[in-house]
Amino acid sequence: MPDIVTATDLTRRYGEGEAAVDALAGVTVAFPAGGLTAIMGPSGSGKSTLMHCLAGLDTPTSGSVTLDGVELSGLGDKELTELRRDRVGFVFQAFNLLPVLTAEENITLPLTLAGRKPDQAWLDQLIETVGLTDRRTHRPAELSGGQQQRVAVARALVHKPAVVFADEPTGNLDSNSSEEIQRLLRQSVDDLGQTVIMVTHDAHAASIADRLLVLADGRIVHDAPAGDADAVFEVMRGVTA
Amino acid sequence: MTSLTLRNMASRKLRTALTSIAIILGVAMISGTFVLTDTINKSFDDIFQAGNQGIDVAVTPKTVAGLDGIDGPQLSMPQTLVKQVAAVDGVAVAEGSVSGQVSIRSPEGKAISKGPPNFASSVADERFTAFRYTEGRAPSTPREVALDASTFDKQGFRLGGPVTVVGAQGATRYTITGVVRFGDENSLAGASFALMTTPEAQRATGQAGRVNEIDVAGDDGVSPAELKSRVATALRGERVTVRTGQENADKQSEDLKKNLSFLRTALLVFGGIAVFVGAFVIYNTFSITVAQRTRELALLRTLGASRGQVLRSVALEAAIIGLAASIVGLIGGLLLAPGLTQLFSAFGFDLPSGGSVVQARTIIVALLVGTLVTILASLAPALRATRVAPVAAMREGLSEGEGRRRRPYFATLLLVVGVVLLCLGLFGNGSGGQAATLLGLGAAVVFLAVALLSPRLVKPLAAGIGRPLQGIFGLSGLLARENATRNPARTAVTAAALMIGVALVAFVSIFAAGLTGSVDATVDKSFTGDLTVMATDGFSPVPEGAQAAVAKVPGVGDTTAFRFSRGKVRGVSGTPAVVGVDPSVARTYKTTWKEGDNDVLANLGADGAVVDAGSGLGDKYKVGDRFTVTTPTGKQVTFTVRGLVDEGDFGVLGGGMVVSTQAVVEDFGVRQPGMIAVKFDGSRPAPEVRKEVDTLLERQFPNAEAQTKEELKKSQSDQINQLLGLIYALLALSVIVSLFGIVNTLALSVFERTRELGMLRAIGTTRRQVRRIVRLEAVITSLIGASLGVVLGVLFALLVSRPLEEEGFVLTFPIVTLLILLVLSALAGIVAAIMPARRASKLDVLEALAYE
Ligand SMILES: Nc1ncnc2c1ncn2[C@@H]1O[C@H](COP(=O)(O)OP(=O)(O)O)[C@@H](O)[C@H]1O
Ligand SMILES: [Mg+2]
Repeated sequence: MPDIVTATDLTRRYGEGEAAVDALAGVTVAFPAGGLTAIMGPSGSGKSTLMHCLAGLDTPTSGSVTLDGVELSGLGDKELTELRRDRVGFVFQAFNLLPVLTAEENITLPLTLAGRKPDQAWLDQLIETVGLTDRRTHRPAELSGGQQQRVAVARALVHKPAVVFADEPTGNLDSNSSEEIQRLLRQSVDDLGQTVIMVTHDAHAASIADRLLVLADGRIVHDAPAGDADAVFEVMRGVTA
Repeated sequence: MTSLTLRNMASRKLRTALTSIAIILGVAMISGTFVLTDTINKSFDDIFQAGNQGIDVAVTPKTVAGLDGIDGPQLSMPQTLVKQVAAVDGVAVAEGSVSGQVSIRSPEGKAISKGPPNFASSVADERFTAFRYTEGRAPSTPREVALDASTFDKQGFRLGGPVTVVGAQGATRYTITGVVRFGDENSLAGASFALMTTPEAQRATGQAGRVNEIDVAGDDGVSPAELKSRVATALRGERVTVRTGQENADKQSEDLKKNLSFLRTALLVFGGIAVFVGAFVIYNTFSITVAQRTRELALLRTLGASRGQVLRSVALEAAIIGLAASIVGLIGGLLLAPGLTQLFSAFGFDLPSGGSVVQARTIIVALLVGTLVTILASLAPALRATRVAPVAAMREGLSEGEGRRRRPYFATLLLVVGVVLLCLGLFGNGSGGQAATLLGLGAAVVFLAVALLSPRLVKPLAAGIGRPLQGIFGLSGLLARENATRNPARTAVTAAALMIGVALVAFVSIFAAGLTGSVDATVDKSFTGDLTVMATDGFSPVPEGAQAAVAKVPGVGDTTAFRFSRGKVRGVSGTPAVVGVDPSVARTYKTTWKEGDNDVLANLGADGAVVDAGSGLGDKYKVGDRFTVTTPTGKQVTFTVRGLVDEGDFGVLGGGMVVSTQAVVEDFGVRQPGMIAVKFDGSRPAPEVRKEVDTLLERQFPNAEAQTKEELKKSQSDQINQLLGLIYALLALSVIVSLFGIVNTLALSVFERTRELGMLRAIGTTRRQVRRIVRLEAVITSLIGASLGVVLGVLFALLVSRPLEEEGFVLTFPIVTLLILLVLSALAGIVAAIMPARRASKLDVLEALAYE
């Protein structure tokens, strides 16, 4: 399988001189198409920074990123924006929906932004899958946290992106809703062949992944198939100890 | 708490600056007006003081209160009084002086100024005048003149060369024998002077055998007060006023101030409107910040800050902004005053200028108005801040406390009060000043009421405006519309600020269109002549000799002079307009009779009058009744009503009553016609006659021009439009203030939606799209304001035109102008959105998304 996202010798430094922080200190990693990767690591280890660099939201200090065959370093803001719009899906920790749009309008946002019409059958199927068929015209304020995050997941999938990034998507949810979201992400990989990269703190969430990456101090310290929750737990204990 | 307030302001410099601008502009206009009018006053005071320096006693014709304004005739006294005064014991010298408006022509034969007047004045004894010769000598023959240095230099005249002055008898060529300065000044507040021998000045100003003022110098040892009483005794029974030189100077200053007070009030009104609009902007800004700071305020409350402390912290911020903005506004006013002079001259109204005068009153008023308005406008939001519950600090995703919707009892009541005030102003019988005050107050209250009601209108209006935008711009349009309606109160107040300016512009343009239409209709209906002859400036009188000269042109049949004045009639309010007409009037002017016929007009005689049935006079008198008029010269003249004309007939000429030329000249002292109507006799082709009339006027009466009916209508509407342009320019100030309001609201909203915008950018919204969303929101907001404004403007016009309908006022709606107004408002919205849109699009995505 070809790699959808690759990063080579990525570094990202914040600040200068004495106070400089290396959020990423040389990361080389490749993500093949299909499959769910969980990224774990202590707080401040550079997980978000890595995702942002991979997704073209942040510019690495050095190193290169290729996404769906496109080398990101040469791209301007407009190209990066369009790349994100067309080939990347995002799920954030805070649900980050537009309060003024209905659930369905929020879901189709990436398509609308690109000036495209959604394929109605696909959209119906997607909304069905995330279980919001009877909530299509509701505003985010009328939805529960779990429902809102399901809207966000659907939005990340609606334009069939090359890769979906999810940064602690279950961080704000209760355990039931969390499981729901994990199941949806898993399903998107299995049923739709999506590539999903997910940052999480939750060992159980990581256990549904195919692969577990662990970051510490801006470096990858573990990269192996995920295994079950206990296995993940063990790995994490080893890393943080 | 104080340091917290200061730090809060410092951390939001931009917002503080934008809020300040709302106040700065209005305060600048107010202080600029004071500086401007004080400066004009001061320069004239200096002139009057200098002019009366060597005068112990001055004798002037007695004026009639109410009829002595700038539109009254120039009053004079018989020259024989000079001898009488000279004979008084203790009088060393008595000299009659004559002065009157003329038109001095440039070496190229053009008028030398659009605004400041030109005068012909008699040469006076050195002690009675501040004119001093810098070159040459005083004129000594009737064909010699001296010019003021400013006119002489500016126009490039030369000593010994010719100059043409158009006076009451037409154009006369003189030789320049001297150049004068007024004290140390080259000019007298911009006016131009041609000094002539006394008899020539009398001839040129149409006052043969008469003088306008008698100046007296006393013998040594006789005090001015003593001399004054001796002169007064000698002149007992004459219609004159005797004053000492100082009293005369004071009186002249006072008269000027009265004339200027209209200008001052008018400009202050525009400044006041801008401040009023500014109050909306401030209210809105503070509302939004209080809402955005809810958590912070709640936290303070949790930590033990009292309600009073919270209130003070917000009020203090308002006071600081208000005071700082007022100070900047005051400085702006100093700079603005010369700008106002420029503005006026750009629209053809020249004002004299001099070194700027800043009185303590200007400073106090400016600071007080700016600071108080800011504090008042922030009071409601400050009170709202005190109601923030401490628990709000704990709540997540707090919605703004503006959602509460009370039933609109108060706003409705306010609306009713406003309309009642308007009606009282329109239909009540208060004086002009009272009516204007009521109208102004009523309009302000209506604006407030509509602003309070408008949050309810925001949704439907935004839907109406936003739908087509959504059709064109898709998602951006949808988001813009939704954003605009997210917080209806905020959008409503922002829009209401613009609404005020737009409503006034709409009202004025509708009113002006109605006026133009009415003038056109009246001219079409009434004027049956071929030409009119009027002064080129549109308001000066036509030289007396013009009528006879035009009448001699072959092909001219009848000429009718119209002379305009005013009188006072016991039991009739105001000062009814008086029109004096020649017997031939029926051949150039078609009268619509209620009672009587054209023969009546031809035979008015010395005491016949035709009365407008729609005026106060018509209500009171029937045909055959006699009534007494006090004329501007102080005469009491009894007229007999010989006919009644239809309501508003002669309205275009001023309404009221029509008398004979004889009466208006002899009793009202108006010698020069305001207009001459000309009818051709058909013996020659009209264009030929017209050409000959033009040639004649150009040669002999270059300050007058002939116009056909169509040209007359055109020049009338040009004049109206010129005034309209000036009003638009002055109203632009409040529109600009409201635009800053839009900028401010958008900037605050963008700030509030940082996270949303970050998400939009993250998932692929381009900068362009973000800018468009903000821009369209601005367009929706400004169109809400503009459409409410146009509706209000139309309603105001409907209301205000009601009482004028009797006088032939026909309301017409300048649809194109109103549409342009809407389009301009939308464009203004786009301009206002530039900065907020840029901020929104430049926002750092990662920072915006930063998790807390
Ligand atoms: N904008 C920034 N400026 C300065 N330092 C930053 C910034 N963003 C992140 N960092 C630092 O970079 C490191 C990695 O951050 P992040 O990628 O957010 O970690 P994680 O998501 O693993 O908790 C941290 O030490 C953090 O403080
Ligand atoms: Mg993180």
